[in-house]
Amino acid sequence: MKKLIFSILSMALIVGCTKKQEKSEFGLDINDTIRVNFLTEPPSLDWSKSTDTTSSFVEINIMDGLAEFDFTKPNLSVKPALAESWEPSNGSKTWTFKLRQGVKWTDGVELEASHFVDGWERLLRPTTASEYGYYLFGVKNARKYNEGKLKDFSKVGVRAEDKYTLVVDLDTPRSYFPLMLTHHASYPIRKDVIAKHGEDTWADEGKIVTLGAYKLKKWEHDRIIHLERNEDYYGEKAKIKNVLVYMILEQSTAVGLVDTGKLDFQLEVPKSDIRVLRNREDYVNIHNLGIYYYGFNTKKAPYNDSRVRRAIAMAIDRKEIATVIGGGEKPTGNIIPPGLIGHDEEIGTKFDPAAAKALLAEAGYTDMTNFPKLTLNFNTNENHQLVAENVQAQLKRNLGVSLELKNEEWKVYLKTLRTNNFGIYRMGWVSDYPDPADFMSLMLSYSENNRSKWVNKKYDSLVEKAAAELDSDKRIEAYTQAQKILLEKDAPIVPLYVYSSNVLVSKRVKNFPINEMRQFPLKGASLVK
Amino acid sequence: MRKNYKVITGAVIVGSILLNIFFDLFEFEGFLPSAMLYVSLISGAIGATILIVKENLLVYVAKRGFEAFVTMFVIATATFLLLRFLPGGPFDTEKALPPEIKANVEAKYNLNAPLIEQYGLYISGLLRGDLGQSYKYIGRSVTEIIAQAMPATFKLGFYALLIAFIIGVPLGVIAAYKHNTWVDNLAMAGAISGVALPNFLVGAILILIFALYFRVLPAALWESPTHYILPVLTLGLRPISIIARLTRSSVLDVIRSDYIRTAWAKGLGEKVVLFKHVLRNSLIPVLSISGPLIANVMSGSFVIEVIFAVPGMGRHLVQSVNNRDYPLILGLTLLYSVVLIFANLIVDLLYSIVDPRIKLA
Repeated sequence: MKKLIFSILSMALIVGCTKKQEKSEFGLDINDTIRVNFLTEPPSLDWSKSTDTTSSFVEINIMDGLAEFDFTKPNLSVKPALAESWEPSNGSKTWTFKLRQGVKWTDGVELEASHFVDGWERLLRPTTASEYGYYLFGVKNARKYNEGKLKDFSKVGVRAEDKYTLVVDLDTPRSYFPLMLTHHASYPIRKDVIAKHGEDTWADEGKIVTLGAYKLKKWEHDRIIHLERNEDYYGEKAKIKNVLVYMILEQSTAVGLVDTGKLDFQLEVPKSDIRVLRNREDYVNIHNLGIYYYGFNTKKAPYNDSRVRRAIAMAIDRKEIATVIGGGEKPTGNIIPPGLIGHDEEIGTKFDPAAAKALLAEAGYTDMTNFPKLTLNFNTNENHQLVAENVQAQLKRNLGVSLELKNEEWKVYLKTLRTNNFGIYRMGWVSDYPDPADFMSLMLSYSENNRSKWVNKKYDSLVEKAAAELDSDKRIEAYTQAQKILLEKDAPIVPLYVYSSNVLVSKRVKNFPINEMRQFPLKGASLVK
Repeated sequence: MRKNYKVITGAVIVGSILLNIFFDLFEFEGFLPSAMLYVSLISGAIGATILIVKENLLVYVAKRGFEAFVTMFVIATATFLLLRFLPGGPFDTEKALPPEIKANVEAKYNLNAPLIEQYGLYISGLLRGDLGQSYKYIGRSVTEIIAQAMPATFKLGFYALLIAFIIGVPLGVIAAYKHNTWVDNLAMAGAISGVALPNFLVGAILILIFALYFRVLPAALWESPTHYILPVLTLGLRPISIIARLTRSSVLDVIRSDYIRTAWAKGLGEKVVLFKHVLRNSLIPVLSISGPLIANVMSGSFVIEVIFAVPGMGRHLVQSVNNRDYPLILGLTLLYSVVLIFANLIVDLLYSIVDPRIKLA
């Protein structure tokens, strides 16, 4: 018996030791292959339909939009990609894009302006059922077309003037429109390819047609994706020939693979390991354009009293929360994250327990024993639990208020938020495009994401005005006023901190694109051989 | 003759399975490995058919088949309804969708139709063998997802059970034979720990030792036979322990029986008594636990698959519930049910072969 076990183990050791290390999956040369983990299987590489991080990672590597981020500049600006240039007119209500000529899809067909019209038509078409359809609702008549009220797409504000000219009419002026065109929802599409391979299956291996720096070579579902350099790419060619995208769900497993040299990049590390990983050379922490916040159900007592809401906001020390989580999160009272115009640390409630108590007294709560018990709803998650428990302790300590914690599974929680059956809630917002408009629109009275059911017409008009404003100073001024209403006067939400990413990047990778947008175009990265 | 077909079928099945294992471990690909797989399946089917006909088990099997069908129908209906009563739907997202977008999406998947109509559509699809399209993975049918994920899960489970029998049975026999010695105590202490330790802990410890410290085995992934070792060992540990303990107590029972005393008395050698007389008769309880063990291994593999990044069905089962991907949840539930029902039927048929006293018909 012992002999048997011994021989099995020693065989295993021999097999394990004799495996050559130079080759990776599919026999690729490791010196020309970067291996990244994006946690899950991409639900779809159809860029009109996908909504998640993994799909978007693959898409931005195999496709390009009219514009792309210029990560070499400190502020998040964009530069032309498939467009050569653009010009606003009609007070930024009309945008004319001149396309780059001679850009070839992977099947050799040349890119034309009509491919954008086709892509946007498909995104907005009701039967496509795209969850990102709303992304282009700013385009004239787009919403009506998506609702099915308008059947004729030629009435929607996008048209190909000639082969290389795309003209877009918006319903209101939008100074930041080019920023939106970095997103995969706005990419062009080949109608003929979809017609040939089928509406839901054209984006599979062997069928998909793209034009980015990489192309999809192999897709073994739930296991691995192989992207290979597109040698006919119109721009500067990618430096690394192969990208292997893994789908390893368990973060600590992936960290183990980074440790043993099997992975070069891990998207997220376990929060509990950060204190140890922090000292490693391959650990990188960066703030994201995303805000973690608490909100109040403004239709329910006592949260319907803005004094109570402000008092709670002032009784929370955000620095303490950030310390408790310990993942490098940045405390903020702003809804616009740092890095975007309009962010101003002076705006928002400050930690001030004495003033908070005074506000509660003003609201009629001098004796805290008759103060109703508050409830905090959040979705079950280790991190949210930590934050909730800390806020609970702080409110008890600073105001003498009891907070009941109520956690629910994610989808159950989302359902609860659609009822009136909650008090304080947890939510977050990660930007689609790097502009304050993306964050400020959240709390518009008609926004689906305004779960506080808060209505302030002055706020609405300020935010709408700012979106249309071309003058940067005037825009900031409008956003400052709007933020003061939102965060200091009415306080339907309390921003707590700016999200951060904790990633591992192997030292053999140079120029790995790490940025606040959590976008990872790999064409500029290289490997130390 | 009666015995011959059992022996021949058994030999063909075992032989082709061994060949399959050989091909798999030495990474042969192509026609032969899949041909061998079919050989084992077809010979199994032929053997079972002969057994059913010869032993007059037709009525019995038909009855079991009918029961299975009714069970599946009840499971499908109950799962369908339970899912719809579960709060939150597949298209509830952090970024709330505008109502018109949500309406479009729900219309695409018929989620706006009355429940009874959705149920009717689902059941009629099921009868045609169509499990529907995944809501989450656009363009992939549930059948396709399962077909892609099944091999890894089955392979993992198969090897775990295989090593469970290879290690568990001898361990149990030795422990019983050396009853109340340190060998017995050590083996049983190990077996109790094997049952008691949660497999995510065992997996983490094994990774720490073999992958991170000694660096002799891969930490995770499912690329070559070397990658199988840690997940198979982790998953196999509990069944090894269960089988070892069961074999031990069963051997102890048999060893004390009269016919074993007779065998000793007539001067048979140690090996003959132990392996021919004791072992065969002690294996019936072990066989009977194989059905539940398959369930054990399949449910245990959820965790193992996640820890070792095995591209199997385990992660789908957990994630599909989180995503409220109704068709995928239903498909997986039905598949697991079929496997369990089928495994139990096979174990019952095997009884009648191993123990002639058991009559099924």
